[in-house]
Amino acid sequence: MSKAEQKRPGEPGERPGGRQEQGVEQAFDLWLQRGLHQLYDNVANEPIPDALLKLIEEDRAARERAAKE
Amino acid sequence: MDGMTSIQPEKAKAGRGEFHGQLVALLPKLRVQALALTRNRAAAEDLVQDAVANALAAQDSFTPGTNFAAWMHRILRNRFISTLRRQRETTDIEDLPMSLFAVGAAHDDRLVLKELSRALGRLPADQREALFMVVLQGLSYEEVAEATGCAVGTAKSRVFRARRQLQAWLEGEERPAPRPDRDRRLPDIVTPGIGADRANV
Repeated sequence: MSKAEQKRPGEPGERPGGRQEQGVEQAFDLWLQRGLHQLYDNVANEPIPDALLKLIEEDRAARERAAKE
Repeated sequence: MDGMTSIQPEKAKAGRGEFHGQLVALLPKLRVQALALTRNRAAAEDLVQDAVANALAAQDSFTPGTNFAAWMHRILRNRFISTLRRQRETTDIEDLPMSLFAVGAAHDDRLVLKELSRALGRLPADQREALFMVVLQGLSYEEVAEATGCAVGTAKSRVFRARRQLQAWLEGEERPAPRPDRDRRLPDIVTPGIGADRANV
C-alpha cells in the first residue's frame, strides 16, 4: 500500500449510515489497486531500451570526464 | 524548468553519480506513468526518452537529497504538456496493456481488466495521473502535489474522484454518487484522442 493510501481523503467516515457504503468503496479500492497492478506491472517489468540506458550512461561518463579535467 | 532550484557546484558534483543511478532506477515507473498520460505505448516510450533527455540537461538544477521522483515526474509531465501543445489532438488509438492478453489470466478476469483499462482511458487525465502516482508509484499526496504543481488537497481530491468515478462506471452507472466535493477540475491536461467531455476543462 502506498504512503498516500494509508489515509483516505474525502471519505465520508463520519456520515451516519455511511458504513456499508464505505465498506463497498474500500473493497473496490482494493480491487482497483490489484487491477492496476495486473494491468501495468508488466509494463514496469519490461526491459529498458538500450538506447535509453546508453543516453544516461553516456551523459554520466561525459560528466565524470569533465569533472576530472 | 519550473520548480527547480539552483545549487552550489560542489554539491552538484557530489550528487552526479547518484543522479544517474536514481534516474535509471526510476525508469520502470516513469514508463508506467508515461503510459498513464499518453495511453499509447509508442508515445509513452517517446515521452520517457524526451523527459530523460530534459532531465539530463537540467540535472544541475536538481538539489541532491530532495525528492528525485517528484522532480522527475514533474519533468515528465511538463514534457507531456509541451508535446501536447505541439501535436494537439493526434488521436492515438488507445493501447491496452499486453497483460490483458496474457495466457495465464482467466477469461472473466481479462474481460474485467479490459473494462477497467477502458474506464481508465475515460478518466480526466489529471485524475488518472494522480491515481497512478498514488496506487502504482507509491507516491504520497504531498509528492503528487509537488510533481503536478497543485495543492495537496487537490491531489487528494483527484485520486478520490478517480476512484469513485471508476467504481461508478464499472458498476454500470455514469456518475458516482453525489458527494460534497470541494475541488473543481483544473485545466491542466487534456488527453490526446479523448473528447472534450473527458478533458479537464
